[in-house]
Order: sequence, then structure tokens, then C-alpha cells
Amino acid sequence: MTRRLLSIFWLAGAVLSAAPALAWAQDKAIRQISLVTRAKSIPATPAAGVAEARLIDVYRLVAKGQNRDALLKAESLIRDYPTFLLAQLVYGDLLAARTRPLQALGDVPPDMARASGTALTDLRDESQLRLKALRERPPAGSIPSQFLSLSPRNKHAIAVDTSRARLYLFENTATGLSLVADYYVSVGKSGTEKSMEGDLRTPLGIYFITSNLDPKTLRDFYGAGALPINYPNVLDTKRGKTGSGIWLHGNPPDQFSRAPLATDGCVALANPDLDRIIRTVEIRTTPVVIASQLQWVPAHSVQVEGKPFADVLLAWQQTKSSGNINKLLDFYTPDFNSFGKTLDQWSPSLRSEVSRLGGKPIQLKDLSFLRWKDSADTMVVTFGEVAEGAQLGPVKRQYWVRQGDRWKIFFEGVIG
Amino acid sequence: MRLAAVAACLVATYAHADDYGDVAQLVRAGKLPEAMTKADQYLATKPRDPQMRFLKGVIQRDSGKPADAIATFTKLTEDYPELPEPYNNLAVLYAGQSQFDKARTALEMAIRTNPSYATAHENLGDVYARLASQAYNKALQLDTTNTAVAPKLALIRELFTPNVKGQARPAATATLPTTPAMPAVVAAAPAAPVVPAAKPAPVTPAAPVAAAPAAKPPVTAPAASADASKDAEAAVRAWAAAWAKKDMAGYLGSYGKEFDPPGNLSRSAWEEERRARIVGKSSISVGVDNLVISVNGDKAVAKFRQSYKADALSVSSRKTLDLVKMGDRWVIVREAAGA
Repeated sequence: MTRRLLSIFWLAGAVLSAAPALAWAQDKAIRQISLVTRAKSIPATPAAGVAEARLIDVYRLVAKGQNRDALLKAESLIRDYPTFLLAQLVYGDLLAARTRPLQALGDVPPDMARASGTALTDLRDESQLRLKALRERPPAGSIPSQFLSLSPRNKHAIAVDTSRARLYLFENTATGLSLVADYYVSVGKSGTEKSMEGDLRTPLGIYFITSNLDPKTLRDFYGAGALPINYPNVLDTKRGKTGSGIWLHGNPPDQFSRAPLATDGCVALANPDLDRIIRTVEIRTTPVVIASQLQWVPAHSVQVEGKPFADVLLAWQQTKSSGNINKLLDFYTPDFNSFGKTLDQWSPSLRSEVSRLGGKPIQLKDLSFLRWKDSADTMVVTFGEVAEGAQLGPVKRQYWVRQGDRWKIFFEGVIG
Repeated sequence: MRLAAVAACLVATYAHADDYGDVAQLVRAGKLPEAMTKADQYLATKPRDPQMRFLKGVIQRDSGKPADAIATFTKLTEDYPELPEPYNNLAVLYAGQSQFDKARTALEMAIRTNPSYATAHENLGDVYARLASQAYNKALQLDTTNTAVAPKLALIRELFTPNVKGQARPAATATLPTTPAMPAVVAAAPAAPVVPAAKPAPVTPAAPVAAAPAAKPPVTAPAASADASKDAEAAVRAWAAAWAKKDMAGYLGSYGKEFDPPGNLSRSAWEEERRARIVGKSSISVGVDNLVISVNGDKAVAKFRQSYKADALSVSSRKTLDLVKMGDRWVIVREAAGA
């Protein structure tokens, strides 16, 4: 009795279909994805990212034609993660492959496919996105271009690439920003570029985690917990964007992971992954960049890239220290706004601040600035403003916009 | 899903043939309490006897006592782990309770025990399909209530290979008609299968028949025999070809009216089973190798190695076809897997 070795077409085809002509190369790429190095850097919660790593392991076995081993691994995967629907689909395929050849990932009987609505397409998309994110890794030593300058206070940073359905978690150490883990995420049902309440879109921009909601106070739907971010931020509000309650949150008990486009605008992660983030990051100081496509640049290049703006900040700092109020006011845009106050309403408090300083220089502690470019070129700047001789000072945030070759401030306010 | 196979009653030792035959006969007649009484009487003196314990498991299953049957077959797998049949029947019982993971494990054990065990392979194929369906339902979060029909797996009625230490393997020709695509049939083959006397029967028009040579050589006895052998071989090859082509008229037409469908199935029920089993396959190939035909008058026996492939399943097994000459064509009256 010999059992014919089954060839499964979907790995080379549907799953890795970005460029079918290169299927062989993609197979190779998949085999070479190193899970060991990824796992090494996440010792705190071994469960984070593990389910995906095991799924990819199954894919790799399939790519090598080792369907029997793949089936065993898929079986143990769904035993450990019974609500990992994509894993169930792959497990179903590997079982079905023992009785018939497969044409595609999720080669379900037609009546079942019809009854499932978009579920099958969603799972195929999820599979493709997970593979894509693992196949096309950020170059070593590179960081998203938004992180121009972080302070030691920003111990971690998060970047979400919605085109890859991927969240990247960074650690900010003395030697700079380094990627420690990345996870599959789901975003808004209607995609990205949130602009108004109820549009089921995920916002794009630079945000900060504002709090950590106790999962006990949340519905099961949110899984391991929730980290709200400050949407709408100053730029969003300036642009008339509405809506609220954009969170990073977990997944419901019956879905280990959800479709790539599934939420009402939040960013949703598998519970072990979110749990790992919750246990890692600090509220208020953790920036969350959400971009439709992250630009990865060499970590050392941002210093050069940020130098011109650092010089602008230095000029603002020196002007404020000098006490020349008219020259200082020239840094602010006519449509400046600080928590609802226009420049005319707000400038008296700037004047009194400057006169209180009495010519004492100010220092910018724990300065960070992140750049957001879309139709406008903006900077989100955070620092502690401390007068010479003083121990403490307010934590301030500024939003700058580039107008021609000049940077101007359109928001300034104390945030802590 | 098919219930396939049946074993003809092959007994562990001839001495007990009558006891086994009697019990099997009672089971076939539906006299389950009597069969159970007789089996228990026998087991009172030979409590370890695998064949009778196996029959008892079948009786328990037929009596609607799956838990008892599972206990009986489980104990048999423990005492005689080299026998594939108890594993197979355990799988049938588990599948009947929708415990497909357990059914799968049992069938994999049956195959580990006997890698060419066609019935277990077929059953395993059905179990895989069902497990796949369950996984798909979970993956797509479908309501599974409308797909919950338990498949019918092939139950083995009697032990064929009591290849147990200390017991003689039967010398008789094994008749285990477990073709890879055997219909869902419980065969109730008699202990000593007898080819029914050939009755004149109308020739099935659709039957694929190898055309008789247009010009027959002068009739001499050896030549006639050679011709007969050739014709019988052509009939076997036509049967295999029709099967592979899913030509149901040709395939079913290869069987004579006297063909005794396995189990208590009527001819039409058997044909229905075969049709369901064959037409659903996307591709079938049936290889006939090492074909040896012995002709005796208007009867012939064809023995060969059958290489059956259907979709992902591939089974190579021994096959014996008994044929009789009806008019000018040879038709199958008995089909058996094994030697």
C-alpha cells in the first residue's frame, strides 16, 4: 500500500500569490523565516506571537511536501488555539488533502463557501497578510521614518502598518530604537483614514497611549484589555475630524484573531499579543504611529534627517529665553490654537510666562519629535520646559507645520 | 459513507467453524439474542477466543449497544493488537457517535497493523473528510447542525485474519471482498462461499464485452480453453476499464445476475452504493497486474493484483473474481479481495 504524496497547491499559489511566477522563491523565503530569533526577544510572555509562528511552521512543512508532519502540527495548534480560525482552515485543508487534491487555501466545499459569506475570503486575506509581513521584513537596524527623535522617557514605541495588518513594537534603549516583536492586527471594517464618527475607519497619524483600561470593566468582546489612544489629536481636530474611543484592544473569546478589516476603527490584536504590549508599554509616553505604509529608514539616518528641525527648535528655545516676545510670536501661525484659545486669546499668557522668566534661559528636557507627513508636513513635539535654576517645569506639547521653508507652531499646550 | 466490507467467514480453526458459522448465521437472520446466547456459551469455555469475541462485538453493535461493543472491541485491541479488524470496528462505532478524532486514531492503528487494509483506508478517507468538514465549519463559524449526519463506515462482520499466535492461519482461500471502493455493505458471506449454479440469464445489453474473435479457430479443446481464457481476461480488463471511466452501465453490466451482493443488500441497493461510491470520485484508475486466469468449463477464476487509485487514495491489493460464461460473455459472480 502506498499513499501518493499529495501536492498542495495553495501554498505556492493562493497563499503566496503576490507574484505567482516567483512561487518557488517565496517558498524558499518562507522556509527561511527565522522564528527562533523572533522568539528569543520575547521572553516575558512566551504565548505572544507563538500561535502565528506555529502556523507558519505548518506552512513551511507544506511547502516542503511534508503533509503528514504538517497535519500533526496543525492538529496540535488547533488543540492549543481552538478559536484560531485560520489554523482551523489550514487543518481542514490538510485533512481534506488526505482524500483529494487541493486547489486553494481553504478548499472548502462550494456550499460551505457560499454559506460562509465573506469569512473564507477574510481568512485567505489574513493568511496572505501574515505571510507578507513575515516575508518582507523591515531591514535590520531600520525604523519607521516618523520616529525622528525619541527621548529616554519614551521607553517603547509602537508603529502600525495597516497595509500589512501589522503592529511593530520597539524598545528605546541607550543605543536607540530596536524592534522587539511584531503582531498581526485587525483594523476598521471600512479601512483607514478615519474622518468622522461612525465611519468604521482606523485613523492615520501620530498618537499616544492615554490609559490602560482594566479588562474586568470591559465586555468580553475586548479580550485581554484595551489601551486607548488620543484620537482625535490636535491635527485631526484642526482638520475637523470627529469620533472617539479608538483603542488598541484584544479579541473576543470565540476568535483568536479577526479578519484584517473587522473593527469599528480600533486596532485589535490576539489576546496574548495585546497582553504582552499591555505589560510592556507605559501610558502617556508611548507613541503609536498608525500609517497606511511605513517607510523604514536606517536608525542612524534620522539624526541627520531631524537636524534642520532640531535647529528650528533651538531657535525657538533661544528666542523664548531672550524674552523678545514679538520675535517669539513670529514662530506661531495665525490660526494657532491652544485648547480652544486663539493666538490673540492665548498670547497674553505667553507674554506673562516670558516676563516671569525675566531673561532666564529655558531648557527642553526629554525632548522628542515625531514627523507626520501627508498633505501637510507636521511635527509632534514633546518636552519638559524647565527654567534655569528650577527643578521642575511643565510638560508641553507642540504641533508644528512646515510652511515653505519655515516651521511654525499651530498648537502649544501643557499636557502634564 | 460506505459500510464496506465484509469478510467471508473464515475461521481461526476448522474445528470451530460450525460454532462461528452458527452464530454468524443467527446474526444474519436477525436473531441477535440467540446469537448472543450462543456466543456467550462458547466464550464461557474459551473466554479469550478472538473470533467469537469479535462476533460478540458485532452482535452488541447490531443490538444497539455501542458502549458494550466499544468495550468488547477495545479489549480485543488490547489482547490482540496485531488484528486490524477490531480497530476498524471501533472506528465505525466512534464515527457513529461523531467522535471522529477517536475514529481516526483507531483507523490509523488498523492501518499500522495492516498497511494494505483497504477497508480501513476507505473508512479513514471518510473520517478525514468528516474531520475536514468539522474544521472548515469552525474556521468559517458556520452553524454545524445541518451537516451533522454521521457517516456510515464499513463494519467488519467477522474476523478474517486471526493471525494470532498459536492459531493456525486458515488454509482455505481467503475471501475478503474489501475492495477499495467496496460499497457500504455488510456482507454476510457464507462460511464456505459457493458460487451459485449458473442460471440462464438474459445478457445485459450495456455490458462491455470483449468482442469474440470474428473468426474462431477450429474448435479443438485446448484452443477453446485458450479462447475462453482470453475472453475471460478481456472481460476482467473491460470491467476494470469501465470502473476507471466511471462507466456505470459498463461496470455494473460486468456483474452477472447471479452476482451475490455482499451483505444482505439487494442488487439494486448494491448498485446504488457502487454508483454513489464511483461517480463521486474526480478520477479513478484501476490497474490489473499479474493476472492469472484458470478456466474450468464455463467457469473461470481470475486472480490479480489490483492497483486502485481514486483521488488521493491509492491501494494495491489482491483480488479474485469468479466468472461464469453466460451465452457468449463472461460475467462476474463473485468478487473477493485477498488471496
